Amino acid sequence: MTEVGARAVGASVRRVEDPRILTGRGRYLDDVVLPGMLHAAFLRSYAPHGRLLSVDVAEALELPGVVAVYTGADMQRLTEPGKPGVIAGMDQMPGMALPASYGLAVDKVRHVGDPIALVVAESRYLAEDALELIEVDIEPLEAVVSYADALDPAKPPLFEEVGSNLAFQMELPLGDVDGAFARADRVLTATISVHRHHPNPMETRGIVASWDSAAQKLTLHASTQSPHMLRLLLPPQIGVPMEQIRVLAADVGGGFGLKNSVFREDVAVAAAAKDLGRPVKWVEDRLEHLATGGHAREEKADVELAVTDDGRIIGARLDLVLNVGAYLADPFPGSTMAMAAVMFFQGPMKLEALGAKATSVFSNKATYVSYRGPWATGDFLRERSLDIVARELGLDPVEVRRRNYVVRDESPLAMLTGTPYLGVTTRECLEEAVRLLDVPAFRERQEAARAEGRYLGLGLAAYLEGAPPPKTNGERQADIVGDETTYLAVDERGRVVITTRQQPHGQGHQTTLAQVAADELGVRFTDIDVLWGDTDITPVALIGTGGSRAATMANGSVLHGSRALKAKVLALAAELLEADAGDLELADSTVSVRGTPGIALPLAELARIVATEPERLPDGVDADLRITEVFDGGEGGWSGGVHACVVEVDVETGLVAFERYVVVEDCGLPVNPAIVEGQIRGGVAQAVGAVLLEHAAYDEDGQFVAASFLDYLMPTSTLVPDIEVHHVQTVLNDPDVNFRGVGEGGMIVAPAAITSAIEDALAPFGAQVREQHLPPSRILELVGTVPVR
Amino acid sequence: MKPAPFAYAAPTTEDEVLDLLAEHGDEGKVIAGGQSLLPMLSMRLARPSVLIDLNGVAGLAGITEFDGGVAFGATTRERAAERSALVGDRLPVLAEALPLIGHEAIRNRGTIGGSIAHADASAELPAVAAVTDAQLVLRSRAGGERVLSAAEFFQGHYTTALADDELLTEVRIPGSPPGAGWAFTEVARRHGDFALVGVAAMVVLDDAGSVEAARLCLMGVADVPLRLPAVEASLAGQPVSADTVAAAATDAVAGLELASDVHGSGDFRRHLAEVTVRRALTTAADRAGAPA
Repeated sequence: MTEVGARAVGASVRRVEDPRILTGRGRYLDDVVLPGMLHAAFLRSYAPHGRLLSVDVAEALELPGVVAVYTGADMQRLTEPGKPGVIAGMDQMPGMALPASYGLAVDKVRHVGDPIALVVAESRYLAEDALELIEVDIEPLEAVVSYADALDPAKPPLFEEVGSNLAFQMELPLGDVDGAFARADRVLTATISVHRHHPNPMETRGIVASWDSAAQKLTLHASTQSPHMLRLLLPPQIGVPMEQIRVLAADVGGGFGLKNSVFREDVAVAAAAKDLGRPVKWVEDRLEHLATGGHAREEKADVELAVTDDGRIIGARLDLVLNVGAYLADPFPGSTMAMAAVMFFQGPMKLEALGAKATSVFSNKATYVSYRGPWATGDFLRERSLDIVARELGLDPVEVRRRNYVVRDESPLAMLTGTPYLGVTTRECLEEAVRLLDVPAFRERQEAARAEGRYLGLGLAAYLEGAPPPKTNGERQADIVGDETTYLAVDERGRVVITTRQQPHGQGHQTTLAQVAADELGVRFTDIDVLWGDTDITPVALIGTGGSRAATMANGSVLHGSRALKAKVLALAAELLEADAGDLELADSTVSVRGTPGIALPLAELARIVATEPERLPDGVDADLRITEVFDGGEGGWSGGVHACVVEVDVETGLVAFERYVVVEDCGLPVNPAIVEGQIRGGVAQAVGAVLLEHAAYDEDGQFVAASFLDYLMPTSTLVPDIEVHHVQTVLNDPDVNFRGVGEGGMIVAPAAITSAIEDALAPFGAQVREQHLPPSRILELVGTVPVR
Repeated sequence: MKPAPFAYAAPTTEDEVLDLLAEHGDEGKVIAGGQSLLPMLSMRLARPSVLIDLNGVAGLAGITEFDGGVAFGATTRERAAERSALVGDRLPVLAEALPLIGHEAIRNRGTIGGSIAHADASAELPAVAAVTDAQLVLRSRAGGERVLSAAEFFQGHYTTALADDELLTEVRIPGSPPGAGWAFTEVARRHGDFALVGVAAMVVLDDAGSVEAARLCLMGVADVPLRLPAVEASLAGQPVSADTVAAAATDAVAGLELASDVHGSGDFRRHLAEVTVRRALTTAADRAGAPA
């Protein structure tokens, strides 16, 4: 870590956030305490699927300290049902089922943890005491659990109005699929699956809702990635107009995509606070969170590969099914991720044609949410496919990747979807990873180790991440997230104030946006304040922080906005200094005349004059030092790279240890390399969890069996390897903005690299890894010492 | 995850604790480190009327010499035992097991007596108590003091011979037989987790290098820490060899009835148990001086 030097961008500047967060002085949702605040707890369904016959709250209401108990009937009285996805235009997509729902179950329960009643009491303890006094009668219905269940017309539909358990269906033919298969030397098939796991941030969900009946204004403190999202989604449900809702979010303890949703609990708590006229706090506990906070990634695909004898995949057919659970996330229904996954199958692969069918199905499981690279199953399918080709043809997986990954400035120049491979450096990253791991030497070592009964494996995988990607035919592809607006100003103290729509929850925007502004403006890093998390002052945006977009979009917006603000400052200073603006420079928070030492106007003095001595300003001069900058992403570009690792598998216990983990990546120009590397390492850690530990498992009856940290295992420091991060020389696409997103990359690619390494280690046993989750029990099945369960 | 209502008592002497236990019986529950009890309270899996806090009780913690071994006051922190030179010197199997209990922060609070009285059959300390033939000192207002062997004490999962009005006050672990090699080996999905399976083993060799005495205790495979007297006896007189150890491991898991759970099938656990017995016996024999 370094202090800020002459140039802030590109330096691992110490995070402004750290003294606060690392010493426990951050302000998270649970730190919010309001006068007269009440506490909420939800009664949740024990049954996976059933008719809700009755909910008797009489005894609970009699418990001293209980203020109110709400049921589904109350929600019908106080609210309108939520229509997921509508604000994002999902109702315009063919094949999409978007059943509406209330904050609490009305006539059915649809998964373990489905909220049935909401107790509001003087303390959370009392609220939980009251939960035990509510009597619920549920008539069980047959549970819909597996893909097969959901596709079986004989099983009961979760939502009668949908008529089946089909949530989404689409077909996507790209290129001449039949032609590609006709030209293939062979066709390989496999069924590849990714298991249900979830973001599980350190801070769970939660909200504090407060109704000001005099002003008719609702204030929400939220643990969210997107404060404005609550203002945009809640009004039709709770009957408070958007302009009467203020959302505040200070520090947020992680989100990973999960907190880019408005939840049914948010609706119920907001309705209760408005009904009671008192602030109500709900902080989700870990048991609730594991069961209902939001799951992700339950997909399987039948993959058919058109392969040439030299190891190229020229065409593919995918039939992918996604298990979306019961209630759809709002505004981004998980069902749409089936489409995202098949579209990202190609990645950096020279595929000539892709025939994809994507289906999403409802089941009696928790809501499917976006999780760090929501399309990542597509990348997993591609990288597994490349390893399948390598084994089938007896080729080294490295060589197969050399033959399949695109080469910059060579054909094909664009993906099948039309997005150009402009500046793509996948092959450079691959060769550097191969060099770092010294693959030929590894193969010799692997052979020697096997002779001693030790099983080493090497795996690698590549990915591309566009946030945003290069333009297609000079046009930005349609993007519901939109342009990035930032407000920049010099305030009356001469401090630069950046007001961002981003909602940092671990990304360090307070630091990085100030780094960009410091360089562009010539203002000291410490003279810059970054404001966020208050919808009364921040630019409106459906998404705050998500989609790895801040690097390009927010930094780019700040970069251009800083230039515009600087021009304003210099123009004004020129008037006061009676100099030509072209002769002025702004450095170290002071305006000076080039070549004329001694004439200097500190920014603080300039601001003071504007605020307190406006009479000194010439008539008609623009003294409004405020900028609204709207940035469209510029030329965009690819982040991407290759992850490669060496593992050792103990074939007696099924435990996997990492010997080395290497990331070679291109994220453009990093604003703060330490933050970039932290993003990458965090993603890899989550991937270690996904592959080796985490499984949000349900039994065949739909009971949730990963309901505590005894059963849902998160990666710990002893299991996550040292992760080496190497950067390759990037190709600059944009004249000004070449910072690119890294938020999702680690988690997108690492599961494929790790599974690839494990399969390589187990090659002597003939193991074929077709799934992402490889706990010890599964590894011993692959080794052949334990019968397949 | 908030506990149901309970009363809280903070006695300062052992006599007061015994009086409170006599008064409240099965409605009273003692708490020391709280590393198991607090989560159970929060999940409302335990609902005592009265919580009796031992942390202010004088004289309940301490590490002293005992019969060539070591005696632990019940509220001795696991971390204190881990850092004790006496433990390192006299109780190698305990010294090897302690760092496997949770994480340092957990061992800073968790107590020797608490873990043994809690009697989780997947926990390390009950297995250590069983393999070392530890003696457990129990006191009550009505019954005075009695001393039970580990075999008498552990009765089932979370179930012991402790009466409702009794307090575990001391854990006495006798010294090791001369020349004994010990090993504590476990397989956990992550360091610090409750192990999928664990094995504590002891091997003593005779002058000819054959097994003179052996002890074996499995954890996580039954509702108590499982000593295997028949396998221990069958090892006696055998030369130390890969075959001997493998045969003992096969015998050790032959009768186990193992359930499946989210971490794996019963077959998986049986396999792990066999591997772990083999590894533990091999290590113990090595440490006893068996030729490699």
